Amino acid sequence: MTNPPVPTLPDAEYRWISSLLRGGLVISLLLMTGALAVYAVLHPGLTLSAAIATNPILQFLGLSGLAAGLARGDPAAYLTLGLIALVATPILRVVSGFYYFRRGHERGMEAITIVVIVLLLFGLLVLGPLVR
Amino acid sequence: MNLDLALPLLLLVAIAGGLAGSLTGLGGAVVVIPALVILFGVPIPEAIGTGAVTILATSSAAGAAYVRDRLSDLRIGMFLEVATVPGALVGATLTVLLTHADLEDGLLVALGLVLLLVVPGSVARRHEELPGPVTPDARSRSFGLSGSYRDQVLGRDVPYQAESTSPALGVMFGAGVVSGMFGIGAGVFKVLALERYLRLPMKVATATSNFMIGVTAAAGAGILFAAGFVNPLIAAPVALGTAGGAFVGSRLLPRLTNQTVRLVFIPFIVILAVETILRGFGLP
Repeated sequence: MTNPPVPTLPDAEYRWISSLLRGGLVISLLLMTGALAVYAVLHPGLTLSAAIATNPILQFLGLSGLAAGLARGDPAAYLTLGLIALVATPILRVVSGFYYFRRGHERGMEAITIVVIVLLLFGLLVLGPLVR
Repeated sequence: MNLDLALPLLLLVAIAGGLAGSLTGLGGAVVVIPALVILFGVPIPEAIGTGAVTILATSSAAGAAYVRDRLSDLRIGMFLEVATVPGALVGATLTVLLTHADLEDGLLVALGLVLLLVVPGSVARRHEELPGPVTPDARSRSFGLSGSYRDQVLGRDVPYQAESTSPALGVMFGAGVVSGMFGIGAGVFKVLALERYLRLPMKVATATSNFMIGVTAAAGAGILFAAGFVNPLIAAPVALGTAGGAFVGSRLLPRLTNQTVRLVFIPFIVILAVETILRGFGLP
């Protein structure tokens, strides 16, 4: 007995993932463009070497630091949020793939996507803070 | 250099990176990282962190177009991510440890050598437009690793089926390690695995590589963020420029032949490899 043929992913799934990637990118770019403009206005005459020396992301690595920065309207916090949106976009794409394969009862691909999600979360939440 | 002057230059470099990255499946960081170090004096760890951001922007910008046009193969891309993501976690961790041990110049030389290793295989297949007949293995059949795309240049639908999934998974793990270590998409290895082992047409290989590199970069980015290797003042303008370049590149790729894409790919790798090795040895 042979296995039934694996169905081709439908156009709707391709369109949904394309929209997800584009939406995440647009949100991220809007956040970063606005924040960069405000930062440049607030720090006139800033040199590249000074920008390199004062890496503002270091104060926003924790959730509480980022929330406080966003609440007080710090443009560097919004720049960081834009970067986080950029990182989150492909991760959400994997989550979306997992739900598609789950709905279609494709156990092999479902298992693969869940392993990828677990590894991504392990890197972000466990390995990152550990190497810091 | 004043930031007002540096920002337009950073944007230009990033646009070039995004354009080249989206056309070749490389991600664009192989252009951006050496340029940041050589032209702007950005420290290597921060250049590597910015490289990861470059890849994320290229992957989402070009990926959105390639996925919509069904040029990227979602199933094959997601299948192979099970190898690239653990590789990226290993690679990013290694980079943080090597940087703490002051071995950054060694990192640059290693990156250059790794890039040069890819050239002979690509040169050997420079006249190949579409892969010949393939023999799919059991894993390829059971996971349905096949598809077709509409080739605008050939004017017809081109079917394909993956073969040799085991070596492809091995190369993908290595690609993940390289991606995490150097902040590049390691698209050179992903395209190599997709084209040479899975035997996918070149355009499907570069488009699927573009689709995959975002997840690999996201895996390493968490570690690079936490280590303070990502400076948003550098990374944000680079991301903006890269996304713009990748958008243009994603419009160009469907109109090119597979051979042209490969011809764009090879000189980029050679120039960047030599430049990176020289820099690693402290030469201008």
